Amino acid sequence: MSDDVHFDPDQSHDDYMSGLRMARRDFLVKSGLAAAALAAAPTWLKTEQAAAAIRASTAPGGDPIARGAVAAAKQYKGLTLGRINEAGPQALDDKNFSGPLWEKLTGIKNKVTEAPFAQIRTKVIAEDLAKSGALDSIEMSPAWLPDFADQGVIIPIDNLIRKYRAQSTLTDLHPLYRALGRYKGKTWGFFDDGDVWALYYRKDIFANRQLRSAYRAKFKSDLRVPRTWDEFNQVAQFITDQMGPTVYGTGMGRALGNPGNQFYFFQQFRSNGGRFFNPQTMKAEINNAIGVKTMNQILAQNKASPPGVEKLDFVSGWGLWLQGKTAMIMAWPPTGRISENIAQRDKAFAFLPKSKIVGKVGYARVPGRNGEHAGSFIKAVMATSKNQEAAYLFNQWANSPSISLQRVMLPYTLRDPYRLSHYRSPQYKRLWKGADEYLATLAEAANDAVLDLTMSGAGDYANALDRAMTSMYAGKDVQGALDEAAREWDSITDKLGVAKQRLSYANFLTYPGATGKNTVRKRGQAVSV
Amino acid sequence: MTDITAERPRAEQRGKSAAVRGGRFRVGGLLRFVFIAIYTAFLLLPLYWMAVTSIKSQEDQLSDPPVWFPGDPTSINYAEALNRYNGWKGLENSLVVAFVTTILAVAFGTAAAYSMARFRTGGKHLAFWFLSQRMMPPIAIIIPVFLLYSRYSEEWFGFGLIDTRIGLILLYTVFALPFTVWMMYAYFRQMPPELEEAALVDGCSRVQALRKVAWPLAAPGIISAAAFAFILSWTEFLFAQVLARNEAVTAPVALAGMITFFQGNLYGQASALTMVTLIPAVILGALFQRHLVRGLTLGAVQG
Amino acid sequence: MASRAEPMTRRRPSAVSSWMDRHVRWLLVTPAALMVVALTIFPLCFAVWVAFVQYDFSLGDEHPWVGLDNFVENWKDPVWRASLWRTAWFSVTMVAIELGLGLLLALAMLRPFRGRRVLMTFFVVPLFISPVVVGGFFDLFVRRPYGVANQLASWVWPGDVTIDFSQDSPWVYIVLIMADVWQWTPFMFVILLAGLAAIPDTLYEAADLDGAKPRQAFSFVTLPLLMPIILIAVTFRLIDAAKLFDIIFSLTRGGPGTDTYTTSYYLYQQGFEFFHLGQGTAGAWMFLIMLTFISFWLVRRLLKPVEEA
Repeated sequence: MSDDVHFDPDQSHDDYMSGLRMARRDFLVKSGLAAAALAAAPTWLKTEQAAAAIRASTAPGGDPIARGAVAAAKQYKGLTLGRINEAGPQALDDKNFSGPLWEKLTGIKNKVTEAPFAQIRTKVIAEDLAKSGALDSIEMSPAWLPDFADQGVIIPIDNLIRKYRAQSTLTDLHPLYRALGRYKGKTWGFFDDGDVWALYYRKDIFANRQLRSAYRAKFKSDLRVPRTWDEFNQVAQFITDQMGPTVYGTGMGRALGNPGNQFYFFQQFRSNGGRFFNPQTMKAEINNAIGVKTMNQILAQNKASPPGVEKLDFVSGWGLWLQGKTAMIMAWPPTGRISENIAQRDKAFAFLPKSKIVGKVGYARVPGRNGEHAGSFIKAVMATSKNQEAAYLFNQWANSPSISLQRVMLPYTLRDPYRLSHYRSPQYKRLWKGADEYLATLAEAANDAVLDLTMSGAGDYANALDRAMTSMYAGKDVQGALDEAAREWDSITDKLGVAKQRLSYANFLTYPGATGKNTVRKRGQAVSV
Repeated sequence: MTDITAERPRAEQRGKSAAVRGGRFRVGGLLRFVFIAIYTAFLLLPLYWMAVTSIKSQEDQLSDPPVWFPGDPTSINYAEALNRYNGWKGLENSLVVAFVTTILAVAFGTAAAYSMARFRTGGKHLAFWFLSQRMMPPIAIIIPVFLLYSRYSEEWFGFGLIDTRIGLILLYTVFALPFTVWMMYAYFRQMPPELEEAALVDGCSRVQALRKVAWPLAAPGIISAAAFAFILSWTEFLFAQVLARNEAVTAPVALAGMITFFQGNLYGQASALTMVTLIPAVILGALFQRHLVRGLTLGAVQG
Repeated sequence: MASRAEPMTRRRPSAVSSWMDRHVRWLLVTPAALMVVALTIFPLCFAVWVAFVQYDFSLGDEHPWVGLDNFVENWKDPVWRASLWRTAWFSVTMVAIELGLGLLLALAMLRPFRGRRVLMTFFVVPLFISPVVVGGFFDLFVRRPYGVANQLASWVWPGDVTIDFSQDSPWVYIVLIMADVWQWTPFMFVILLAGLAAIPDTLYEAADLDGAKPRQAFSFVTLPLLMPIILIAVTFRLIDAAKLFDIIFSLTRGGPGTDTYTTSYYLYQQGFEFFHLGQGTAGAWMFLIMLTFISFWLVRRLLKPVEEA
């Protein structure tokens, strides 16, 4: 590692500050407000939130969606609803906020089963086989929607939406998310979590004067937030060379299944113009030249990352980021909140270190523009439920604009903004200085986002790719490993039936964001906040 | 044939025969201790790391290079593991399930083994059938067991066995039986029948012979079988995870939840809970080894 | 034989107890057999049915008969084939090391010495830790940058250690084997110690009188008498090692790539993550049959003396 630039945190801070000298007064005012908001935030966030939620659900001027759900659900007083949610902070929403509030408002008790994410699908399917009525309202990933809908695990809710006149709850969703709750012309659940990836970078590092001049000397252009994948590698490697091992250019966890390397590939591959299958023959195309190029770009990213990144899990990756050891990462929206120490205030987030980079984080769209919309949750109703309508009403209430706004602002939440009303919320913008920029970035990212592969057998395909990528990290040659993955994809397609898969893939292609050429923005539906 | 009542003089001769028995290693006395020392180090290193991880603060967990002696140890991991991540419930369920399973598995297993060893009940087929139960990979039976416990149990008996301790106990007993049966089978085969024959000649019924002669002599074997039945239920993970939801969550499920937590790892909390689960382990281990050692010094099974 | 106290032998047997006496052999076996039958008969019949029909979550609720298709489907998958071979050499290696280590340890610990009881208590501890957790902790050990393995290696090895123990061949296999050995050597140790304890002194004394050297005493007295115990221990341990799952699940998840897939992990994934239950169950039956053959061969030695006697 070169000694050309000695990374001095104070120096960077000065550079950063000097850039703002022109708006100094403005800055002082804003930071004063931010400090005041932050100081007031802890109490305001929880008890005031509960009060706001109750007001919205009961007061005449409140949220009609929430009010409608509560009013209709009162007839089920005394009932117990079975819920399933991801273990950990996600389930805290049920246990500490939405569950108790719902009981207070309607007299219905929610009983939550917590399961690690990978187990949720297993438990839901097992319950579908058992038909014991233990689960009523479930949290599921949109990627499971084709299988769940086709196999009758969940019920379509169009009738119920009409019955309770809740159509407006859907129009408030970002257009990308509006599509994700629908399949084959029906609505199957309420979209509940805007899990779109953005680029989070260290403003202070990019403003560092010494770094900037060294970069200009080497590359004859200015150091800036990268806009293409090749530029990303160039910048990341440069930062690692100059400032490693104190700071690395990037460091995203590549552990198998944790978060799952397929997300990285899906994103970059489509950004580079690739497509997963030939729509007619259904032959996998992930091993073509674009696939190889994508994989080599990802391997270059690993080179610019701390050692051990190949087995680094997602949360440990956040740990490195919060300690200031990486300069750029692409990740889920909670990154913005934890960088500002908002989540760590709550005991439930004791597993994350305190942020050392408060106020130093910038937000941008992912290089190549098409960020991955990875994971996320939909609230659905199980077909084997004995209380389908009550379960639906809970979903409608928790997902309504007013209640969901409170839920995405909870300090311990992992649910991210997904409604236009969220992006525009003055309350949310007060959470920290830069929150408005953050919300705007998320909305823009959703405009350009590409979706996870959402079709029958999605889990099989994802797993094959994930495995192939880990073998490449361990040194296997790229073309060979991709060929192997493509072969596995083809055999999965064969096993499930080529004709069936062709239909499923064609259906996937109708979603906005199925390819880089078909994003929300390209369809002319971009939102601006 | 030696006399069962001549125990005491036997013990005096113990020292000599132990030397003979271990005589092979008299020369390598130093070697023996070196070997034990190395193995102990190998054994203790992960345990030490677990113990240290359980008292490390968040900062220390994520430090590079790793911290061997935490500067400011904290008990927060213990509090979190027990209160927030199902630690107490897991421990309680594990203890109850393991104890009852052990009693059932040892009782039924020893009875069956005795019958097969002494009376050749079922010939070699029965014995092998018991063993074959152990060979089935869980995946083949996990779904039907799940269905049995949830849907069919409800239909046939009126209550579900899903998420209940009794459900786990029954299943674990069936898992442990092959081991207890075979352990005791080998033991009884090794034990000559002459002693019981003698008791029968004296007029005891078969049942009395079993109770008063065979059972006490098989004690070391029973202890071992009990220990392993306990260990099996104490550490079983896959079925517990599938069959338990909220109420019957056992310690391994709680631990695995921490290790695969939110796509990340709560190693501080996981090690804290592991340390706590080791308490009954150490107690039982101490009791168990005492019995074992007693078996060594008081003279072996005669004959 | 010294006579026993009078009262015990003079009791007149009641009708019940004499019935019990006649049928005692069946009464003793019944509870165990009944439990096993009750809890395995339905699952096994179901599992037989599932192996021959189409039972796949993604393919719908109908289960038409497909004959041997599920079985063939497994063989078409190179991951299945590789996993069989890998499971075999994993289990043999692990059990061999555990047996050797356990036997040496049992022999070494046979003679009492100060502190032996404390040591024995510690030796038994790994058995009480769930294999999932053991795998998790060995993972913690070897992963970078927070793990200890690289630091330890750098103390012993001159120069930089850039090996990734959790990824690089052959280290990932060594780590897996070490984790299993760490956990299960005590199992062998305890069983063998109990077996050694059961060998009567008289035999050693007789050998000594005959002028046998310690090595000969070992070969002609210890080993033969210990053999049934060794066979039991090896049989059980081998069967369990062949079903190796928990450590893989928490240490490598089968990775990198598919390099550490064991058959159990493969079947778990097929059945539980993808819900290709037909294929998973068919694979499980094939695996069971293979294990049966192997253990039958091992156990025959144990059962032989029963027939001869």
